[in-house]
Amino acid sequence: MALLEVRNLKIYYFTREGVVKAVDGISFSVSEDETLGLIGESGCGKTTAVFSILRFVVPPGRIVGGEIIFEGRDIIPLSDEEMRLLRGEGIAMVFQGAQNALNPVMTVGKQISEVILEHESITKEEAWERAKSQLELVGIGSERVNSYPHEFSGGMKQRVMVAIATACNPRLLIMDEPVTGLDVIVQRQLLALTNSLREKMRLPIIFITHDLSVIAETCDNVAVMYAGKIVEKGDTVSLYKDPLHPYSKGLIGSYPSVRGEKKELKSIPGAPPRLINPPVGCRFYPRCPYAMDICEIEEPELKNVGDNRLVACHLIK
Amino acid sequence: MTKSEVLRVENLKKYFPVKKGLATLISSRKMEYVRAVDDVSFSVPGGKNLGFVGESGCGKTTMGRAILRLVEPTSGKIYCEGTDVTSLNKKQLKSQRRKMQMIFQDPHGSLNPRRTVSEILRQTVRIHELASSKAEEDSMIKDTLEEVGLAPAEEFGKRYPILLSGGQRQRVGVARVLILRPKLVVADEPISMLDVSVRIGVLELLLRMRDEFGISLVYITHDLATARYICDRIAIMYLGKVVEIGPTEVIYSKPIHPYTRALISAVPVPDPTVKMEEIPIKGYVPVSVTDAFSSCRFYPRCLYAEEKCGKEEPSLVEVEPDHYVACFRAKERSLRA
Ligand SMILES: Nc1ncnc2c1ncn2[C@@H]1O[C@H](COP(=O)(O)OP(=O)(O)O)[C@@H](O)[C@H]1O
Ligand SMILES: Nc1ncnc2c1ncn2[C@@H]1O[C@H](COP(=O)(O)OP(=O)(O)O)[C@@H](O)[C@H]1O
Ligand code: SF4
Ligand SMILES: [Mg+2]
Ligand SMILES: [Mg+2]
Repeated sequence: MALLEVRNLKIYYFTREGVVKAVDGISFSVSEDETLGLIGESGCGKTTAVFSILRFVVPPGRIVGGEIIFEGRDIIPLSDEEMRLLRGEGIAMVFQGAQNALNPVMTVGKQISEVILEHESITKEEAWERAKSQLELVGIGSERVNSYPHEFSGGMKQRVMVAIATACNPRLLIMDEPVTGLDVIVQRQLLALTNSLREKMRLPIIFITHDLSVIAETCDNVAVMYAGKIVEKGDTVSLYKDPLHPYSKGLIGSYPSVRGEKKELKSIPGAPPRLINPPVGCRFYPRCPYAMDICEIEEPELKNVGDNRLVACHLIK
Repeated sequence: MTKSEVLRVENLKKYFPVKKGLATLISSRKMEYVRAVDDVSFSVPGGKNLGFVGESGCGKTTMGRAILRLVEPTSGKIYCEGTDVTSLNKKQLKSQRRKMQMIFQDPHGSLNPRRTVSEILRQTVRIHELASSKAEEDSMIKDTLEEVGLAPAEEFGKRYPILLSGGQRQRVGVARVLILRPKLVVADEPISMLDVSVRIGVLELLLRMRDEFGISLVYITHDLATARYICDRIAIMYLGKVVEIGPTEVIYSKPIHPYTRALISAVPVPDPTVKMEEIPIKGYVPVSVTDAFSSCRFYPRCLYAEEKCGKEEPSLVEVEPDHYVACFRAKERSLRA
């Protein structure tokens, strides 16, 4: 059984301009020893999708359909108190741009131990010791337990956020664009940390990014999102080697690399659609070089094509 | 200066005074400065693109702006096609700007939201007095919109920037520059705010500026992967200084400066079968640099440092034709590479 299973989840924002179908019927699952990458361009619904898991979606946004099954039970109907307990202990999250969300007037040790004390009935001293070992875990070192956030660089603050997120030994960690905006060297150090967490804590992770190469370095499996939908899913190695959905193909074909032969890049025409009144058929139809008549009228279903590969495209029979 | 050079920069420096509390201002006599650009020299031949790559805070934006005198250099010389830009007065500078243009990171912030696309372009045409009649203006605007891929021009011309996608807005940013047919364009992170799937389209457009219009680009970015596609030569910056400069493929295939090596090895590769390597570097980038260096500026982070590195600052030395490195161990490292 999967640790987390999301079924036909729909989240819409009811705005004055119209209904934004930010997440429109996505399904995916995460197993106990998996790092799942969720990749897509900005605005395709990644943050909305994972926010809904921890009930962070606020009006005008609303879950309008679907199930989120964590460890066997649907968590959408949970009470607010049950959800509060689930956050941190069950599922923890490192938010996008979170390094700026640390409390500037509180030591990092205090910030970590407070989170632990909120969830566990242990003494302050015990929590403080745990805070120190968290700082060790993320490679900052326990001697910095009394430091304030302003004494840290952006990359180190992001490590503190990881220390906070993992402080209560969650059973699933969600990281939303954890390395976006960091410089490459710092970014690489954080990716190495992510990989080591997963080995040391055996922690399953949902890793969100718009960067194909970051997924390649961290994730076993990847789900490609486009305009509120998952268009393809599979294991990272085979999906990158042989993408089946024209959007995945386009994305991989347009991705530059510093290594190896300088391959020719192909651009994808057009731009992602707005999610108010998205195209009715396949949402990629207006940009797709292989589009057929049916693509304009009928939405393709996400179909299993074997080897754990799922694709939503009329070309794939 | 040779004839084919579009831009020559000599010993460019830009220091910003550090703002301090009043108390410290009164008590300490000595003013402190952030050495954002600290003695940079290079040249750009006509129709070639030069990339400046480095981590945030290393001085790329300041350097780009100083070249166009959007910030006044502290010292140094800038020549554009032989004209000493640093000595121009305001009026002369204005006419020089037609030759030297800038494309900004955020196309949203640099386009007037109250004007339509064609009004934005028309304004540029009028400021620089490019056309002698309304009909001529119209045809210049139409041609330029088509050149940057905003066709049909009539339709895009009528739109306001807010109704364009990020990629289309950046194309307007390019159009506004291209309509002037400048010799040199400084592009500061022009694609880093765009959706991944539209970046390559804009990159291709920037390449066409070089290939079809002979415009040289100074391409500023933190992204080594896209720089590879757009630049003929690459300069690697660290703490206000160029530490390595050379032909793009040489820099990527056999980097010599220890910082360049670290930077390149840290770039994630979009291939899941490639394993992550350790990055050959230690420590962190200092927040800002106010003191003059009495050592190699990379010394505190370098895994190859020797005694001399802590005592003197190395300058750029040619290790092979057109490939310069500022590292005392460059020669032996290039022999080993
Ligand atoms: N609070 C909100 N109100 C209205 N629309 C929103 C809100 N938050 C997000 N959206 C819209 O929902 C879509 C998905 O956004 P988001 O989940 O943030 O995407 P991503 O994380 O992939 O960038 C976008 O079109 C965005 O404009
Ligand atoms: N107007 C300014 N006043 C003071 N310091 C500045 C100013 N602009 C930039 N700096 C400083 O100069 C250094 C280089 O900045 P910048 O040129 O923006 O680097 P980059 O574009 O490579 O990120 C940084 O330390 C920055 O804080
Ligand atoms: S000069 Fe010395 S300290 Fe500087 S990069 Fe070279 S080896 Fe390292
Ligand atoms: Mg997001
Ligand atoms: Mg900058």
